Amino acid sequence: MALTAKSGQPMISLQHIQKKFDGKTVINDLNLQIKQGEFFVLVGTSGSGKTTTLKMINRLEEQDDGDILIESKKVKDFDLQDLRWNMGYVLQQIALFPTMTVAQNIGLIPEMKGWNKQKVAATVDRLLTEVGLDPETYRSRMPSELSGGEQQRIGICRAIASEPPVVLMDEPFSALDPISRNQLQDLVLMLHQRLHDTVVFVTHDMNEALKLGDRIAVMSKGEILQVDTPAKIAQNPANEFVKEFFAHSNTELNLFETPLTELVKLGFYQKSSASEQLATFDQATPLTAVMDQLSREKAISITQNNRAIGTLTAQNIVAFLKNSC
Amino acid sequence: MQALINTFMERRGDLYQALGQHITISLVSLLIAMFIAIPLAIWVVKYKRLAEVLLQVTSVLQTIPSLALLGLLIPLVGIGTTPAIIALVVYALLPIFQNTYIGISEIDPSLEEAADAFGMSRMRKLFKVELPIAMPVIISGVRTALVLIIGTATLAALIGAGGLGSFILLGIDRNNVSLILLGAISSALLAIIFSTLIRLSQRAKPRQLLIGFIILLVGFAGYGVYHKVNAPKDTIVIAGKLGSEPDVLINMYKDLIEQNEPRVKVALKPNFGKTSFLFSALKNEDVDIYPEFSGTVLESLVKVPKAQVGQKRTPQQTYQLAKKLLKQQDDLTYLKPMAYNNTYTLAVKKQFAQKNDLKTITDLTKIQSSVTAGFDLEFIDRNDGYRGLQKTYGLNVKVKSMEPKLRYSAINNQDVNLVDGYSTDSELRQYNLVTLKDNKHLFPVYQGAPLINKKVADKYPRIKASLNQLAGRITEKQMSEMNYEVNVKKESPAKVAKTYLKAQHLWKEAK
Repeated sequence: MALTAKSGQPMISLQHIQKKFDGKTVINDLNLQIKQGEFFVLVGTSGSGKTTTLKMINRLEEQDDGDILIESKKVKDFDLQDLRWNMGYVLQQIALFPTMTVAQNIGLIPEMKGWNKQKVAATVDRLLTEVGLDPETYRSRMPSELSGGEQQRIGICRAIASEPPVVLMDEPFSALDPISRNQLQDLVLMLHQRLHDTVVFVTHDMNEALKLGDRIAVMSKGEILQVDTPAKIAQNPANEFVKEFFAHSNTELNLFETPLTELVKLGFYQKSSASEQLATFDQATPLTAVMDQLSREKAISITQNNRAIGTLTAQNIVAFLKNSC
Repeated sequence: MQALINTFMERRGDLYQALGQHITISLVSLLIAMFIAIPLAIWVVKYKRLAEVLLQVTSVLQTIPSLALLGLLIPLVGIGTTPAIIALVVYALLPIFQNTYIGISEIDPSLEEAADAFGMSRMRKLFKVELPIAMPVIISGVRTALVLIIGTATLAALIGAGGLGSFILLGIDRNNVSLILLGAISSALLAIIFSTLIRLSQRAKPRQLLIGFIILLVGFAGYGVYHKVNAPKDTIVIAGKLGSEPDVLINMYKDLIEQNEPRVKVALKPNFGKTSFLFSALKNEDVDIYPEFSGTVLESLVKVPKAQVGQKRTPQQTYQLAKKLLKQQDDLTYLKPMAYNNTYTLAVKKQFAQKNDLKTITDLTKIQSSVTAGFDLEFIDRNDGYRGLQKTYGLNVKVKSMEPKLRYSAINNQDVNLVDGYSTDSELRQYNLVTLKDNKHLFPVYQGAPLINKKVADKYPRIKASLNQLAGRITEKQMSEMNYEVNVKKESPAKVAKTYLKAQHLWKEAK
């Protein structure tokens, strides 16, 4: 796939797209232009047709009418394999291949493209490091040995391993816990800045859309209601639906409901048990429940099955909040 | 336990040969079943309705009783290893097909979507994603199939394919528990060992598996070719039903034929389980000669004209009719019969006979109030069995129904004092029993004679003369004695046969 479009030129155009399922029209006359190098978010409620729209771009779904162009070539004129090898894909279900190691999953497309082994291995290690996983530790692990957040990091590495010009992401973080989600959002932004790829990102979470998107398309019932930058949508919602959708999104991520387990997992605590007598909290306790204690005391003791596993200070909490924002 | 060890030591050679046959039949069947079922299942994953149909078909195939399946196959492919392997393949299809189909169709659809989205070709998706994920399920299907095959392969002995089943059949026939156990335990061990090997193979790399597979295939192919090349050209196959008596007889046939026609090689296939299998094999020319009873011929092998059904016949008439009908209906040659009549008989302990002066069944009716009989269930219900005895002789005794082999132990333990049996059973000699004369000729006539197919009868005319040397020889007592030698004294049938021929001056020692 030749890449000639300059930044800002239309990379993907959807023209008069119509899609039916079992004779029922779910998308009617949809038009959209996605520019080269932009982070484009399709946001909408479930059933709005956003995922279907995404899947038509790499032909996992075929439209019934209209054309989709990559630069100026219709997707149906591409060799299917060539088209897909040049479009990264990240799934909500993550879908790492369970019989392959982390390295094999990441190296899948480079290997199919015929890269030599050293180049594949080097790419795998570089990507693992980039997403914050130690290659030595993770390279030969199986997907089942990883947490959800770690798995999706690998899912992202797999999609971008051969540095495709376009990356499609289908609600990639909706199955993750709020903390992992936040970290991975930062990660994809960071990677996007480095790679200058064109990202099409589907989500039902307006917060996520606002945080990530250069531009956002709000979809409902197979139609696009508004396409614009986050700031402009916030200032000038096109109609009541967009306004409502936007308003509902303002519920901030409630970080204070995070259980202590998460802080322990991320290392925001001291392993050593304190010498003095401290109030103890089980690790399942949410942050809010220990704030009161920590406003009076220096530290509390975290327990697991009534056994002390470490201590937590106010400083740890601040560090955690800073990391999560 | 000691008996088992002794039997093992005695028959080690036979056991190893049977094991070899058993493993060969089982593995060849398994490989063929895998080559059919796995690709088929992979192919139909996309066609759900067709897959359902195929699942039904394979399930139905599995419900066909194995004996029926073997019986159906004999007219088509003859006897021996081929029908055995076909039958086993049929049984192995279901578990392998079902597990492969389920293993692949139940893969998480998001993984399929991912594979598609990464531009994998159909083949790459199959080998890189689908098969590795489905492998544990497929392998468990293969294990199920293998265990099933190894168990069912014991039936191969019924149609002359050998294997561990020959030990079990022989053991059942000779009431030899050690033989049965030897066959059964070996078969069970085999199943466990191979099942474990397959489980371990799950951890092997695909390439190692493939190499193992190829080695197995080449091995079998080589074995097959070796046997084809080495098979002697001018061979006559003589088979016999299950038991010591046919075994001794076919050894005599072999000796007599080879003595008169040195250019002919004779191969023996003893211990065929079912008469009908053997008869089909003879007509198919898989078998050239086997000894058959005149009574059995009329009863189940030929169609007797309506007018002659149910008539009473002398031994001579029975034989002549059988000979005529075999020639007419199947173009088979039935040579002259031997002397003994292997039919139902009533037997009592020798002292009991002497004490009560019993010689005939009529004598028995005089003391019938003091008689308790142990009869085989079938005998009790037959018109030429106990029912006939009641009608013809007016015999009326207390009857206990018993398994054929148990009757003899029962009379030996004096639980009963009269049993039914066959006139050449070795137990008559073993337990010192005397038979009572059927003075009113109730029991049907079962005289043994060699039955030959047309091909051999035409090609080797001298065989008739060789085998007719036995005509009119071998009395019931002699046959019973020879059965006793084989069954109880554990002499080899070949040796017993030769001893008899020498005693009758039918065997000339090589000078």
